[in-house]
Amino acid sequence: GGAMSFLKRFPPPAEGVRHQQPDTEAVLAGRTLGAGTLYIAESRLSWLENSGVGFSLDYPTISLHAVSRDLNAYPWEHLYVMVNAKFEEEETKEAPMAEGEEEEDSDDDAEPIAEFRFVPSDKSALEAMFSAMCECQALHPDPDDEDSDNDYEGEEYDVEAHELEQGDIPTFYTYEEGLSHLTAEGQATLERLEGMLAQSVSSQYNMAGVRTEDSIREFEDGMEVDIAPVVAGQFEDAEVDH
Amino acid sequence: MEVSHSVKERTIAENSLVILLQGLHGHVTTVDLRDETTATGRVTNVDAFMNVRLAEVTFTDRQGAVSRLDELFVTGRNVRYVHIPDEVDIRATIERQLAAIHRVRYFGGRDKGRKEFPRAKHK
Repeated sequence: GGAMSFLKRFPPPAEGVRHQQPDTEAVLAGRTLGAGTLYIAESRLSWLENSGVGFSLDYPTISLHAVSRDLNAYPWEHLYVMVNAKFEEEETKEAPMAEGEEEEDSDDDAEPIAEFRFVPSDKSALEAMFSAMCECQALHPDPDDEDSDNDYEGEEYDVEAHELEQGDIPTFYTYEEGLSHLTAEGQATLERLEGMLAQSVSSQYNMAGVRTEDSIREFEDGMEVDIAPVVAGQFEDAEVDH
Repeated sequence: MEVSHSVKERTIAENSLVILLQGLHGHVTTVDLRDETTATGRVTNVDAFMNVRLAEVTFTDRQGAVSRLDELFVTGRNVRYVHIPDEVDIRATIERQLAAIHRVRYFGGRDKGRKEFPRAKHK
């Protein structure tokens, strides 16, 4: 076929390449783009023809990928990649898989779809290619996901906010929601407990075996709390909250 | 059953119905995609972002043409519905998955092991 304008010259990716498959034909909408090397890298999927021109696909634009060994659907075993974007070739009348989007003028809101097939000369590589793509795809979760609170970092994850969005029944009350359910008496108790907690917070810093004068605290009822003498390194193996 | 090795993914799963989908490993399930294609196959993995991996797939395109795919990975964004197979007890599946997550979280005992975030009181 003629030159495809979306093909560009660029160096092969150097970092984060999970899998590299030479001698792989790229096919777009049933038309071959030539033979080259497929690079499955963490940042993007790239294919470079042996002449040095090629293209890249960003994972967020990839809707799905699959291993096809059904020779009735397509005559060669390949890695199928469906992309949510437009490329030069739109019509797929000859596509044996017949999955192509034919002209659907009535469907103005239809998302653009491009179908790529990567046909390695080494068919046994298809599993590895598929798995590498799964891994890379998982590195690019959907930023537009409306259903979830994206602030998931570690122990700071705000379970309550996420639950409220989901509309699930919370399994426990966190501070803001629980506070509104307290009676006046409950509120007073909470304040007293918080006061006691504030006084004892500094004692937590002595758990690693260092004893300071601050480790002795008096509570309002005269009880003296003294951290027991510790052996240096006693808590070396303990899991510290972080 | 499989539980994610990521704190973040376990946390997400525990607080959404993805946890149900993760309990479908090994079951033959139909996934309807956003573009009105469907894929029926055996679930081999569902992650916290609802990316679904299926094996031995029968894929039906918008025109109704059917083909087979050895393995298929659909991004969560493109999943419209996941049909829960009739033989799956939904409640039991969710409870089993939660238990699996808690075994990981409370490894070593209820008050020992790594604390991922404040313990939930289950009703």
